[in-house]
Order: sequence, then structure tokens, then C-alpha cells
Amino acid sequence: MPMTMQTDGADDLLKMLQDLGDQASKVAGKALYEGAGVMADEIQRQAGAIATAPFHYSVFLQREPSPEEKAAIQNKVGIARFTHDGLNANTSVGYGNSGYANVAGRMKPVPLIANAINSGTSFMRKQPFFRRAVATGTKTASEKIKSSIEASIDAMTK
Amino acid sequence: MPSEYEALVAALKLTSVPFAEYGWKTRPEGAYGVVQLDFEAGHLDGGDVKQDRAWEGSVDLFYPKLSDRTDLIEEVEETLAEVLGNRWELNSTRYENGTGLFHVEWAFQVMDTPEAEEPEAGGS
Repeated sequence: MPMTMQTDGADDLLKMLQDLGDQASKVAGKALYEGAGVMADEIQRQAGAIATAPFHYSVFLQREPSPEEKAAIQNKVGIARFTHDGLNANTSVGYGNSGYANVAGRMKPVPLIANAINSGTSFMRKQPFFRRAVATGTKTASEKIKSSIEASIDAMTK
Repeated sequence: MPSEYEALVAALKLTSVPFAEYGWKTRPEGAYGVVQLDFEAGHLDGGDVKQDRAWEGSVDLFYPKLSDRTDLIEEVEETLAEVLGNRWELNSTRYENGTGLFHVEWAFQVMDTPEAEEPEAGGS
């Protein structure tokens, strides 16, 4: 369930970043880290609203996510290693490298659990916590990135 | 309920795939679909109340045979394009090992705009 978020409307800030030369990459990385943190918090918050029921394995009966599955989704949100390409800094927030979680004695991949809850299956009602987090958290994360860049530039130029 | 959503549900129910809103109590045999509104994606305020509201929803198609894939997917996508224009996207595709069903999911946005009140006639 990859979703892309791009911070627009920061042309003036980008121009100032270019003027900073070698420091620009560090400033962009710091800002992106803070923005990614906002998104990770929002995903955790939305995951907290997932309805659960005790686990029973069945592909014939409808079931809700179990409390163990919900806990894995809440606790294993990750921020990927940053990559830099000139002034661009990139990362992803989600479950790409979240490993496995113990659900009723079986180890299940966390990305699989997240996908099943977010998109639903033929035997589980969908609860689109991730799409909701993207819809509600993007603006706040974008503002956080801009304010972080502004604060860094202010600190450097004073 | 946004009128665009109601129009989408009505159009999907006319396709060759049986569609239900918010899921099925008993899973049907063969291909089937689910359509639902998921959450409010944003709104504009006016007069201390929410005015224009954007809702995000999803359409899910489950089908057991790979050979059905092209026809059914095209049918659903044509319906989405007909009712919503370009306000939808393919969100995910997967295969369920336990049930042998393919699952295709689309996300869409609809607007809920309250109709403007007509000014009362006969005023002085």
C-alpha cells in the first residue's frame, strides 16, 4: 500500500536551501525526519482505532483483526533509511521492514497483516487506517517539514 | 449520503458482478464485489457548519478464476469512469492463498455538496 507524499509550495525555501550549499542536505534530512515522524505518529493513532475480536482462524467465517495483530500494527511502524539525491531527501513510512509478529502461536509478516486490515479480505472487513492516516496526516507533516527548514535556516543565518 | 456515491452503487449493481454495500453476510459463490464509503477525507467550513465534504470510499472485487480477470476488471473500471470521471485509482491487487480468490481494490473520492437553498419568494 505505498502512498506518496510530496511537499509543494516550498520554492522560496528550496532557493534558500540551494544557497546553503553543503548544509542543504543535512537541513533537508532533518526536516524530512520530523515530517516522517508526524506521519508515523498519525499511522499509530489511526491504528489505535482498529476494532478487534479474539483470534479464530477461518477463511469461511468473517472475522475481525485480533488484539495481537492490532498491537503489531501499532508498534511496528517504521521509517526507512534516508536516501539523498542532490537536494532531494527521500524516505518511506510504513511496514516495509517490520518483520514478523506472533499471532496465536504463528509468526505472521507484519506487512501482510497491515495489508489485510487496510484493504480487507474475503473473510475480514476492511478498516482503512493507513489511507485515513495519509488523508489526515499529510498536511500536518508537510507543514512540519516547512517549519523545520525555516527554523534551520534561521539558526544558520543569525 | 453523497448522491454521487448512490449513483455509483446503483451503477455497480447493474454490472454482471453481484455487488453489496459494506460486505456480505455469506460469501457468494463465484465473483462478487463490495462498495463502501470509508471516511471523510476533508471538508470546507461555511456558516459554522461543514459545507463541501469529500468522502473517500473503495470498491473491492473478488473473483476465483484468472480467466475472468480482464472482463470483470474492465467492467468495474468502465463503471467507475462513467460515474466518477477520473476521481478513482487502482489501490491494490492480491491473491488470497486460503480461499483461492483474487482481490482487486479501487479507491475513489466523492463530493457531498449541500444544495443551495432557494430564496423565499414573495418577500417585500
